[in-house]
Amino acid sequence: MENNQYIADDGDKVVVIIMTSGPSSPQRCATPFYLGSLLAAMDAEVHVFFTMEGVRLMEKGVGEQLAAMEGGKRIIDFVRDAKRAGVKLHVCQPALPGYKIDENLDLIDEVDYISKASTLADLILSCDKVFSF
Amino acid sequence: MDCNGCEFHPELYYDGEFQIWVRRESDGTLTIGMTDLSQAIAGKILHLRVRRPGTKRPTGKPVATVESGKWAGPIPNLFDCVIVAGNQMALDNPALLNQDPYNAWVARVMPAYGTDAALASFLTGDSAREGYCARARREDIHCR
Repeated sequence: MENNQYIADDGDKVVVIIMTSGPSSPQRCATPFYLGSLLAAMDAEVHVFFTMEGVRLMEKGVGEQLAAMEGGKRIIDFVRDAKRAGVKLHVCQPALPGYKIDENLDLIDEVDYISKASTLADLILSCDKVFSF
Repeated sequence: MDCNGCEFHPELYYDGEFQIWVRRESDGTLTIGMTDLSQAIAGKILHLRVRRPGTKRPTGKPVATVESGKWAGPIPNLFDCVIVAGNQMALDNPALLNQDPYNAWVARVMPAYGTDAALASFLTGDSAREGYCARARREDIHCR
């Protein structure tokens, strides 16, 4: 197996992470940001699309109170790490009313796009890799 | 000289956020490493990967990636360069980045337009120390 200590230059890839997990399963809420940060640091263009309960992670006050492990790093800090690495964050507009989230008042500043389902469809159809949590 | 127990070397060059240090080498290359602040923020480092030697890295494209238990991200790059080498000792034993960040360098690079141009926006000496200590205090970062 090739030595993986050195990162090959394979050309930039586009990766879409679909995040459906939310505060009811906190143990699932850190890894997508960690992996997204790593992929972005490896030159991938990374989009995280929050839908279903995942939209709650982009709600003010939620990530500040949530950790994947008891006493662990807060989810909001994972979110900020991902942003610093260049990850783009999309919130699914159609999912917001079901969680009583007002897109103009209740979302954290880190959100890049309030996106329609068709945006996700376009991302899925045009990207190199897609996976979900 | 340190701040909150975080080691500082005035002879080195630092980016504006004090994430990396850079040292001039006699052959025109630059050596890049993580600052004590960066390793403290990352926590116990588990894995280091460097771009393959010979790879061109434009401004903004990281020279390496670091993974710890709670953080994954880039060793940032602020000038056009070509990777010359990775530090095999640190690649084999990433814990050195925590234990001795100013000796456990990450990568050696050849800047595209000379060392002066590459380091034009970097801080060194007393002005670097001031900013370095200010960040350690502002964000309550403790290294030891």
